[in-house]
Amino acid sequence: MSEDKRKKDIAEGQDDGKAKESRRDFLKKLGVATAATTVAPAATAKAGSIAEALQTHFRLMSDDEKKNAIARLEKRYTEQFSKQVTVADTPAPEGVLFGYALNISKCIGCRRCVEACVRENNQSRDPAIQWIRVLRMERGNNTFELKELNEGSPSSNPLGDYGIQSGGHADKHVGLSGSTEHYYEPEQVPEDDAIYFPVQCQQCEDPACVKACPVRATFRDPNGIVVIDYNWCIGCRMCQLACPYWARRFNWGEPVLPNEDMNPKTHYLGNRPRMRGVMEKCTFCLQRVRDGRYPACVEACPVGARKFGNLLDPKSEVRKILATKKVFRFKEEFNTDPKFFYYMD
Amino acid sequence: MISARKYVRAAIFFGLFALVTGGLLFQQMPEEAVAQDAAQDDSGSAAVQEAAPDATPATSNAASVECYESIKDATKLPKVDNVVPKYGYPNVKCSPTTGAVLWYGDPYYGTEPMGEMPKFNDKTDGDFAQAVIRPRVEHLKTLIQTNMQCSSCHPGADPATQQNDPRQLMMHQDIIADAQNLQHGRGAIWCFDCHNAANRDTLADQQGNEVSFNESQKVCGSCHGDIYSDWRMGLHGKRTGEWKVGGKKRWWTCTECHNPHTVQEHRFQPIKPEPPPALPRGMSEDDFKGADEHGGH
Ligand code: SF4
Ligand code: SF4
Repeated sequence: MSEDKRKKDIAEGQDDGKAKESRRDFLKKLGVATAATTVAPAATAKAGSIAEALQTHFRLMSDDEKKNAIARLEKRYTEQFSKQVTVADTPAPEGVLFGYALNISKCIGCRRCVEACVRENNQSRDPAIQWIRVLRMERGNNTFELKELNEGSPSSNPLGDYGIQSGGHADKHVGLSGSTEHYYEPEQVPEDDAIYFPVQCQQCEDPACVKACPVRATFRDPNGIVVIDYNWCIGCRMCQLACPYWARRFNWGEPVLPNEDMNPKTHYLGNRPRMRGVMEKCTFCLQRVRDGRYPACVEACPVGARKFGNLLDPKSEVRKILATKKVFRFKEEFNTDPKFFYYMD
Repeated sequence: MISARKYVRAAIFFGLFALVTGGLLFQQMPEEAVAQDAAQDDSGSAAVQEAAPDATPATSNAASVECYESIKDATKLPKVDNVVPKYGYPNVKCSPTTGAVLWYGDPYYGTEPMGEMPKFNDKTDGDFAQAVIRPRVEHLKTLIQTNMQCSSCHPGADPATQQNDPRQLMMHQDIIADAQNLQHGRGAIWCFDCHNAANRDTLADQQGNEVSFNESQKVCGSCHGDIYSDWRMGLHGKRTGEWKVGGKKRWWTCTECHNPHTVQEHRFQPIKPEPPPALPRGMSEDDFKGADEHGGH
């Protein structure tokens, strides 16, 4: 649902007095809830949702408050999805800095990582949200011939010839790599004339998104993963604008997540179901990696192009890749210091 | 300069404060209304349930779903429900469009310990104690089709296996289309460089040691040493399970991703990709085609 539609709904609601009613109700209950949270938190489901509205930032919550918030969510999700849903608060493991390495000479562009991510992280199926984009790039084609070098544009023009371009060729570049796009749909991958470049949140050390967030709803966890407190996010989309990697996705509509597709193992800062009007993005599968498992995209990749591990452990796969392979980081010039490395054999 | 920046910061702060308070009210109100609706009648959850069945046709008749991991038709894996009862996870979730395994509820399903690996005494000496593999033997094509061991037709050694002189095969064209033109080794190798002439149910390495089909790395590694050491370090090939060094991991062995009989044509057999993302709302495919010559379909 778009912002406009939302506004319209509210406007229409006000016409028949319904929204006014609920706003008054809301304020009334607000008072009740304030009392309720101090006396008996989460006494009822309704009080729960108000308590949720009054909830503070996850990092500022006391252990008790966290426990209550999580109990509220578990109850609500369990009812909503008709199955037992757990919302974990597993702490970040000590002495770990998570890093990711992706072998672009191996990636075949099959998009299994994208689909695995959707299944693991409870993204909305409609409107469909995907955290990973696989870019397809043409291989360089060396069709350029030396004799064309000085035949560049503007060559001739109805208004007169203003000279040829020298030392270059505006229309046709040497070994031109053409377009980059992500809607490709061939019968089979890999295609002979393409390479593939998956992009997702790079878990920056110095994240532009965190700096842009006016309410600090998004922040770095102790393992270097940038997370979002969905309850604290105000949906202003500043972070989306700031991110140089197109990593963030906004819930424009009420997310649709079929019951049987819902992954009931969730984490508060990870894959718990989101609501309309909040931002979301890759968290390296926080709910998995804090429990010791590889992220879902690592496990899905049929060619083993995706590697994950602890950057502080010299024996880890990622560290060995950094030590022995040709490694680069995407858009390094933005100085966000990503923890996501691309490499080649 | 500094004071000017302060000024700007203050302005931004107050602007954002307005946004925050406005945003909070704006966002929480409709949600509250939704919660009330859902409490009064069950319409909210009913709608979700209705939307469910057509979204995942594959999950409904789970017992009959057969998926594949890396090579289509050669790395089969049936989907089994409720392998992890705590979360009601199946062993795998598969793509409704391609049948590929997309997600592992239990990465160790159907695996067994990898067993001893020779020591290298160098930096590639990994921690194999917790390594598991998925046995390959039961996936061998002839086994699946005839339910017979190779040795039931090929007992004992064949004198012809002494010369490097492949003949045209009468059978097994599904495995190797043209035995005299093996797509591996660029003419330098033939069948019995890998297959064990004395026991056809096994492979043999360069020293003639018998090697199980489950441990193809011991054969492949005797020629492809650089890749073999990368594989031991975890840099080449795929692993699932725990990210910790020394944690329990399933290691993918060579023939789970590479078909040794065609590897020269395709190092990795091409597969059908998962569907592309939805176009932005309001954008049609025609718009898109116009915008980019490669964007079609
Ligand atoms: S990639 Fe974007 S969303 Fe991810 S941490 Fe960096 S700036 Fe933030
Ligand atoms: S699953 Fe692996 S090969 Fe397929 S698109 Fe993703 S990274 Fe590339």
